[in-house]
Amino acid sequence: MTNDTDLEAEIQRLLTEHDRIAEQGITVQRRDHLIVLGGEVESAQRRDEICRQISSHFPELEITCDIGITRAQAPSEVEEIS
Amino acid sequence: MIRIAAVGDVHVDKDVVGRYRPALEELPDRADTLLIAGDLTRHGTVDEAKCFATEFGGLGVPVVVVLGNHDHQSDQQDDVTKVIEDAGITVLEGSATVLELNGHRLGVAGTKGFGGGFAGACASNFGEREMKDFVGTAERYAEDLERALKSVECDALVALTHYAPVPETLVGEPLEIYAFLGCYQLGRSIDAAGAALALHGHAHAGSERGRTPGGVPVRNVAHPVIKQAYNVYQLLSEEVDTTLVGAR
Repeated sequence: MTNDTDLEAEIQRLLTEHDRIAEQGITVQRRDHLIVLGGEVESAQRRDEICRQISSHFPELEITCDIGITRAQAPSEVEEIS
Repeated sequence: MIRIAAVGDVHVDKDVVGRYRPALEELPDRADTLLIAGDLTRHGTVDEAKCFATEFGGLGVPVVVVLGNHDHQSDQQDDVTKVIEDAGITVLEGSATVLELNGHRLGVAGTKGFGGGFAGACASNFGEREMKDFVGTAERYAEDLERALKSVECDALVALTHYAPVPETLVGEPLEIYAFLGCYQLGRSIDAAGAALALHGHAHAGSERGRTPGGVPVRNVAHPVIKQAYNVYQLLSEEVDTTLVGAR
């Protein structure tokens, strides 16, 4: 079993290196009795796969997911560059 | 006046096809070109490149991209490049293109770039072969970018990279990984050529705005940073107009 010190590193590497995830922008934060996942991904399927894989690899962990889906609407403003 | 739409880190795969398209269909009313700062795909496969080409191809404005580290994951970057170019999209790597837009010549030079860090916390070309290879790779990308930037004659010059050329647009990322997010050599190349704007991605938790040591505006257009389909930047303005045509 992964020790507590290395837990965040193990999760980060899983999320980056797993061939169905490949996410490098997910944050992993510890609370008293759970792990909070943050950041944004491009689809709900990707968010759900992240939670599924962490639960599968670390069944002893209680996780809560604050991962958002990045909005993709057109902009309403332009920035003048000078 | 030239209006440049820009985004990075779109990470397209089958599950993303269609998400950007409604906003992209409006793009010709809002900008003259679209620049994409790398990480076009998730794993750099040919199938994902086809998804990217479907989503970002045929827009009615020129589209210019660089690849990102994700686009190298499957070691198929040459095939990925071909698929994207076959869709009419220009892929830059140590190269440049000139777009004729509204009577102006917009030069765009691009490279993926690489890591290495910034002043006070950068890797050195010293020690083990692996470390020298790492720093040498960063230096090679920066030299290629400078050569490309200096190769074009234009009215406005834009540098397009995946990795960051300055640390200011990394603020929000853990300090410990800055050296994996960009390198100062890219900023030095941009200053040497005198670009009007530098665009990059890669730092999903970074900040939007910065400047090179020489004063060139830098914008981190990673999708999770800008939180919309693309940003629009205006260059060579006759007058300041911050309202987008077609905006609702």
